[in-house]
Amino acid sequence: MLKQAVIWTGGAALLAATTVDTVAVVGRHVGLPLTGSIELMQAIVLVSGAIGLVIATWDNAHARVRLLVERLGPGSRSLADRASDLVTLVFLLCLLAGSLWLSADLWDGYEQSEILGIPWALLRMIANLCLAACAVLLVLRLVRRRK
Amino acid sequence: MIYATAASGLVGILLLLGLLLGGARIGAALGIVGLVGLAIVLGPEAALIKSGVVLVDTLTRYELGTLPLFLFMAHIFFSIDASRDLFDAAAKFLGHRKGGLAYASIAGCGGFGAINGSSLATTATVGLVAYPEMKRRGYDDRLATGTIAAGGTLGQMIPPSGALIVFGIIAETSIGTLFTAAIIPGITQALFYALVVFILVRWKPHLATTGDRASWGERWRALARIWEIIVIVVLVISGISMGWISPAEAAAIGSAGALLTAAIRRKLTKQALFTAFHETLRTTGLIYLILLGALLFSVFVGVTGLAVSAGEFVESLSLGTVGTLILVALILLLLGSVLDGLALMLLTTPILLPIVEATGLTAIWFGIFITRAMEIGFVHPPLGMNLYIIQGVAKDVSITRIFKGVIPFLMSDFVHLLLIILFPAIVLWLPEYLGS
Repeated sequence: MLKQAVIWTGGAALLAATTVDTVAVVGRHVGLPLTGSIELMQAIVLVSGAIGLVIATWDNAHARVRLLVERLGPGSRSLADRASDLVTLVFLLCLLAGSLWLSADLWDGYEQSEILGIPWALLRMIANLCLAACAVLLVLRLVRRRK
Repeated sequence: MIYATAASGLVGILLLLGLLLGGARIGAALGIVGLVGLAIVLGPEAALIKSGVVLVDTLTRYELGTLPLFLFMAHIFFSIDASRDLFDAAAKFLGHRKGGLAYASIAGCGGFGAINGSSLATTATVGLVAYPEMKRRGYDDRLATGTIAAGGTLGQMIPPSGALIVFGIIAETSIGTLFTAAIIPGITQALFYALVVFILVRWKPHLATTGDRASWGERWRALARIWEIIVIVVLVISGISMGWISPAEAAAIGSAGALLTAAIRRKLTKQALFTAFHETLRTTGLIYLILLGALLFSVFVGVTGLAVSAGEFVESLSLGTVGTLILVALILLLLGSVLDGLALMLLTTPILLPIVEATGLTAIWFGIFITRAMEIGFVHPPLGMNLYIIQGVAKDVSITRIFKGVIPFLMSDFVHLLLIILFPAIVLWLPEYLGS
């Protein structure tokens, strides 16, 4: 249920991106340019990309080189899988830490986009939330593997 | 900065190779090596802040909007069976010739490659349609599977291409120009494959049969089923090449066109839309993680000066332009035997691109060249992902027979790659012509 809701939200972002850039192109050619379309796209692309990271983690779909791992026995393969989850978790936590650091530093700066005034703090928050969700999913998988 | 040496960079690369071969996720391996390397060279604080900057910068990159939208377009087209329609149309025009269905498969892969940017997806979807038909008509299983496995690589070269979008972001070069530059190599690659089929069926006539000639009425009906796809593809590719629209805008227009086509055909159901969203988001997330890792890794490689040292080393060999490029090709083909295509591209671009640029060639040329080298990795063992994909479709054919079938196409790939080295104009002429 939760996963479906996340997918529909990401899908809505994809549809919004399709609409914004299509309207921008048509508008430009009929003399009614869509002001700030690039800023809108930046915000929408962040939402779809960040949700994409969550879905790829949820589906365990991140790309791996399996050339050697597939030739290992079940025990060693399970160890390699856990190590892979752990490396991914550490990487995502580092990204999250860096992003939180920047968010905190820039919080009082009230960063916003130039034309539409889209608050960057909100965009950073969405990215951080999605990274945190990825980390939680990986922790859950690590715990399940251990059991 | 005492660790900012080429040796640190080399250690990082070896660690990365170890992690990749140990089964770590490509993006995480690239990222963790990059971050740890930056933490050692610049300090942990700088490394963490850099990671935060790269995260939001990457996620908000307007050009990167191209990727999910082209993926979305492709998944909507999947839902309306575009691969079947494209293959059917090609088969109606070519099926009566000796080996006609093999030509039709190549054309179908080329056509499908123009609506999606993935070799694996092209092989799988065209394979599902083309292989049973070739089998029914008595084609040799090696020819049938080899043609589809090789033809599937066209998905990566013919724009829009996922690999070229990723390369454009990593090398900070124009995705639109990369797409334009890929047109002639993509077409010549397809022609090379057709030539291979032509030679094979004349040399060993038992490999393929001839079918009944379709009437012009049947041909027009087949074309009528794909006209919307053709219009969208032409609009997208010519729009980018002529500079009328940016790649991201082209992707949006392509997605809008695909949605409209699906709606007109009454196939835009809630389930189809949900599946398209799910698949698009999953692939987007997969590529974004790799991109985030690759960007951090390339910053690390940059600060160690490894690329400069590697460039100086290659220069000291005095191989000349062609010799240097052949050496680069050999390195790519060798690493391509053990590394997944994207990992190969992202690991080698920060080091090899400066070497190639030192020979006077551009990032655009290298983007096409490395994509071509990646494609070869898709059809040769031990990785050869396309071989396994086609085996999933042709379960009755052993992987050894599939590999035997793909060998003639692999030979043509090597010749094609060599031609791209000897005649860079194959890549660079069209963007320069249209640019002027």
